[in-house]
Amino acid sequence: MSRQGKKIVEYIFLILLACLFIFPLLWMIVSSMKPESHIYLDMNSIKAFLPSMDPSQWFITYKELFSRFDILQYVFNSVTYAVVITGGSIVVNAMAGYAFAKFEFSGKKFLFALLLVLLIVPLETIIITQFTVAHTLGILNTRLAVVLPMIANMFFIYLFRNFFKAVPDEVIESVKLDGANYWTIFWRIMLPMSKPAIATVGTLSFIASWNDYLWPLMVLTDTSMFPLQVAITNINTTQPVYTNQVMAILTISTIPLIIVYIVAQKYILQGLGGSGTGIK
Amino acid sequence: MNINKRENVAAYSFLAPTLILLGLFLIIPAVLAIYYAFTDYYLLTPDRRQFVGLDNFIEIFKDPIFKQSLKNILIFVTCVIPIQVGSALGLALLINKQRKGNIFFKVAFFSPVVLSLVVISVLWLYLLNPSEGLVNNVLVNIGLNPQPFLSSPNQAIYTIVFVSAWQGAGYQMLIFLAGLQNIPNTVYEAADIDGVNKWQRFIHITMPLLKPTSILIMITTLIAAFKLIIQPMVMTQGGPMNSTITPVYYIYQTGFSDRMIGYASAMTVIFGILIGIVTLIQSKVTKEDDI
Repeated sequence: MSRQGKKIVEYIFLILLACLFIFPLLWMIVSSMKPESHIYLDMNSIKAFLPSMDPSQWFITYKELFSRFDILQYVFNSVTYAVVITGGSIVVNAMAGYAFAKFEFSGKKFLFALLLVLLIVPLETIIITQFTVAHTLGILNTRLAVVLPMIANMFFIYLFRNFFKAVPDEVIESVKLDGANYWTIFWRIMLPMSKPAIATVGTLSFIASWNDYLWPLMVLTDTSMFPLQVAITNINTTQPVYTNQVMAILTISTIPLIIVYIVAQKYILQGLGGSGTGIK
Repeated sequence: MNINKRENVAAYSFLAPTLILLGLFLIIPAVLAIYYAFTDYYLLTPDRRQFVGLDNFIEIFKDPIFKQSLKNILIFVTCVIPIQVGSALGLALLINKQRKGNIFFKVAFFSPVVLSLVVISVLWLYLLNPSEGLVNNVLVNIGLNPQPFLSSPNQAIYTIVFVSAWQGAGYQMLIFLAGLQNIPNTVYEAADIDGVNKWQRFIHITMPLLKPTSILIMITTLIAAFKLIIQPMVMTQGGPMNSTITPVYYIYQTGFSDRMIGYASAMTVIFGILIGIVTLIQSKVTKEDDI
């Protein structure tokens, strides 16, 4: 019996802990699905965690939000940035990884060491001079400025390099004898063989670009180019501020991440394994 | 020799996009930061910038806000690491056991990770609202005093610690869990035969075998924590009374809002060196432990 009792206590403890982690998320979604006045009325009861009793009200907030702000434009912007950055970072970093893995060229050792050292530079601190560079290039307030700095990534290059190293040289030699050039080898042999690396890099760079806030906030002034993350803070400060609408935009910007985390959970941990955690 | 030349050309054409992008957005900005640190560069009058020697650095050491920002980030780092890493380990140990409903608990603990930093900041801003927020409503209902959380200079930084730890713990829990599952069962079985109790088992077997994972998690958290900016930016704008301003946030404000590029660059150099040292120590430590 005491064993049973211990088990019950354990479960109660775990459930309470789970509530601590899950209640903000739940409150966010639920609050977006009820009228503004109800949010504060319900605050003192368990109803704070239940959507409106009337299902016809569930999506009214979303309708209002869409009519007040150009949400579709923000979603489109975020998706565009994320897709371009993800695609770009797969191709660009894989190309560099291929060069480091399979070519002998002058300056290889130096270049690789340099890139490893550059990993130490904390990007967040040089954001001001990155801004002056973008200013000099004349790309401020363009979509290009949002996308370009996020493509090349030393960690992703390293990941691809290690993956390509495992491809036997004989495979490449034999294709070369058939008259294929480096470019064909890269597209036809190397890339198709590295699907796990592509999935890992793709997942990590999608999440990073979807969540990026500071840089787009700095380089964009035109609201029609804002990604969702910047739009959130904009909506949160545009009077009048409605709590349910803010919760709705928070929910909208989270949905793609929920999907990515469900579909690609395997690759998110693998990305960490690549950094040498000893996790297989 | 001919082949070598061809291979050189090919290699560099594959490296070209990377080298151009890293050059433009990493190398040049890093070098420029060092150069600007010795000038009085003001964004709107770039032509009138002048070499001022060490003036910026001397100024920084007299700047109370910079000192405050260093103090704040030290408080944040020293609090967030034990809390976040500790709870991540605790959660992993709780879940690393055959039990019904474990998948639900795992998903629940991981769920905050799915939210972006901007989303958690805005969300907690509402939850922690002094009068109308959910958290204070609950506190009052169970007979406690409502707390000012983000509007009190004594509490704001700790509130940000809590919110950050809450968000990140689930992710590290997964890494710990992977580490725990890598420990072979036979080790535990052998210990059982020797009559080792649960606590000894944890101290003498689990902890040492989990050491590489723990070190890695602690150091990546440390470096990430030093770069704190979004939570204070969205939740408190560095206030109240600069109690949540962080170095990266102060650099951002001076360079971007106040447009004092020279002064901001000098802070970048100082703070960049600081993080650089931490990162170097990290690579030393992780290498020695052969992670």
